[in-house]
Amino acid sequence: MLLMLALTGCAVQAPQLLGRPPPDLPRQVELVQTPFFPQLELQCGPAALATALSANGPEIRPRALVDEVFLPGREGSLQLEMLAGARRHGMVATLLPGSLEAVMRETAAGHPVIVLQNLGLSWAPTWHYAVVVGYDLDAATFVLRSGTTERLELALRTFEHTWDRSQRWAFVALPPGRLPVTATEDEATRALIAFERNAPPDAAARAYAAALARWPDSLVLAMGLGNARHATGDKAGAEQAFRDAAARHESAAAWNNHASVLLELGRREEARRAAQHAVELGGPLRETALATLRSIDR
Amino acid sequence: MKQLQRLFAMLLVICFSNATMIQAAQAALVTTEQIAGMAAASPEDSPHARLGALMTRADVQAQLERFGLSPDVAKERIAALTDDEALMLAQQIENAPAGGSDVLGVLLFVFIVLLVTDILGLTKIFPFTRSVR
Repeated sequence: MLLMLALTGCAVQAPQLLGRPPPDLPRQVELVQTPFFPQLELQCGPAALATALSANGPEIRPRALVDEVFLPGREGSLQLEMLAGARRHGMVATLLPGSLEAVMRETAAGHPVIVLQNLGLSWAPTWHYAVVVGYDLDAATFVLRSGTTERLELALRTFEHTWDRSQRWAFVALPPGRLPVTATEDEATRALIAFERNAPPDAAARAYAAALARWPDSLVLAMGLGNARHATGDKAGAEQAFRDAAARHESAAAWNNHASVLLELGRREEARRAAQHAVELGGPLRETALATLRSIDR
Repeated sequence: MKQLQRLFAMLLVICFSNATMIQAAQAALVTTEQIAGMAAASPEDSPHARLGALMTRADVQAQLERFGLSPDVAKERIAALTDDEALMLAQQIENAPAGGSDVLGVLLFVFIVLLVTDILGLTKIFPFTRSVR
């Protein structure tokens, strides 16, 4: 029994999903338009990434990605670098919850999913990136672009076993402003902060605006929107974003940034009041808020 | 030696950037990364934290080069990472999964190896081979 558990890893989801599928989940989906790039030796990373990026944006070929994700000394591509690689091409890379249903829902929404599988054994792994482009609940299969196979049909159970061993790692790469249907707030926030680092500020602003619309109570997303708008030169937009954030959250950061942009807009009195409010709130940002107040009073 | 030079250069950068911060206290925007870091209740904008982040990046740079990247390519790839990701990469680079294989390629390779050894008479897997001996 223990051996069985050891072999199967986490709870097997396939039987439940097939036995009682969510009523709003389509029974068959296949994103036939998804391009196919057969992988070269050891380079399933670039191939999978090229597939996902080209599906929802301008075409990129694997060769262009080799220098961004392939690590010769490891003979493969690391997960973190796959995410960064997507960002460098203007897409937001968001990790999915580790469930078969999440993968299916994303696919049903038109989002191919990059997955990391261990095609071998846990003690003798064969790590492999592939792209899920469809599924069939009746046939109990997933359809993947995998390696040199354009259309690999894999039994749900087999997919689950190979995917389990990578801790169910999967992500979608989407243009800024489009959100995965299954992303959690925490993960979407993490993904956008990382995106902000790589992307032109107007793209980051678009991405933050969409996320904030879905999660309006998030301080971090509101601050991200303000910062991104400020970086594009849209000071009025930044001021509004920080004003809304400060009103919604008693946050020294929001008040500080609000004060800073008000000063840039020449609204000195309002800036002073906002900065004072930030200082009063104290906390780890007190020094920053004091610096802002000082520069207003200069 | 190169490591020492790099370290020294970094220390100089930190000293200068600290100096400018003290002299010109300006209205500064708190970055999104900082707020997220605070939300996770971890130290954010101390000089110590900044130095830590820089050293991690230097460490990752060295490791990426050791794993076969040119310094320029390594630099670009690190720049794309957040501080958190750089730290994770530093810890994981040697042992984290590196997706590469295509299982069909592996099978094909095994097939070819066995074919060759069959022909050389070292194995007798396939019925259709005749050894050269």
